[in-house]
Amino acid sequence: MEQQFRIEIKKGSTSDTIHFHGNIDSHADTHFDDLVKSISKRMVVFDFSSVGRINSMGIALLLRSIKSLKADKGAEISIQGESQTNAMLFKMTGIYLLAPEAKRL
Amino acid sequence: MIERLQNKYERETSNMFSLSGHGRVICSPAQHVSCSGFEEIHEWPVLSSDDKEEIISRVERVIEGDGGPHDFLRQRAALMMDEMLENALYCAPRDLDGKLMYAKGEKRSLTSGEEILVRSAYDGERLFLEVSDSWGKLSPEIVQSFIALNLTNDTSANRAGRGLYLMWRFMKDFYVNLVPGLKTSVGGYLLLNPDTHEYGAI
Repeated sequence: MEQQFRIEIKKGSTSDTIHFHGNIDSHADTHFDDLVKSISKRMVVFDFSSVGRINSMGIALLLRSIKSLKADKGAEISIQGESQTNAMLFKMTGIYLLAPEAKRL
Repeated sequence: MIERLQNKYERETSNMFSLSGHGRVICSPAQHVSCSGFEEIHEWPVLSSDDKEEIISRVERVIEGDGGPHDFLRQRAALMMDEMLENALYCAPRDLDGKLMYAKGEKRSLTSGEEILVRSAYDGERLFLEVSDSWGKLSPEIVQSFIALNLTNDTSANRAGRGLYLMWRFMKDFYVNLVPGLKTSVGGYLLLNPDTHEYGAI
């Protein structure tokens, strides 16, 4: 699993998929700056299949970007590819309240 | 170096407290949690923020074994060490007004007299984790207020104390030892096979 964080956006016909790579922590902060501007579809998928650790700072970054996408773009966001530990984190911190698992949609 | 740190941390501590599953402080006497009973106890001093990833890797290597449960334990151990080290490096140091001295993610070396010590042990079922710093700032009231704040299901991005809340949620027998102004130790256990709906199992 790569540790250096990066974001890759794949544009689909009906949805945009945001692939996160590496650990999500305070070092990922600047990568989130232009995320909302890069999204054009109303359906957005956050893919965590290439993500290692997400610490509390990373959770804050994700919550902020999910809220911005919802508020600024009216986006509906779903989550896929998360590890068992990251799924626990999303459950504990309310991320699933804002962006459910893709399979639940 | 390690022997000197060990002597320091073996001093009698005060104000030890652990937290129940509802976030209440259990005290008088606090549940004694330690790494006694483990065959091998690993201790590593932390000298700068650059040590964080290496320490996390060492803790992952303490867990011997392969397979799903072991990988799951390594994931949780890495997350807990991340949070505990971030707390010791960036949340514990406060100025005279109680304000944070360092921003999270900032590169920093420990100052003269400042110490951080990691202890870890594994017996095939339980992983013991503890991080101590030499600031002694984390009172039971602060820990309880952070946990209460994070129990409200509020999804505010900048929720204070989220790291401590996660430690409390993930770790069995989560505890804090405090010698005010001298030392804070935060620790607990992670289980190889956590009970369903307990200690972060889902």
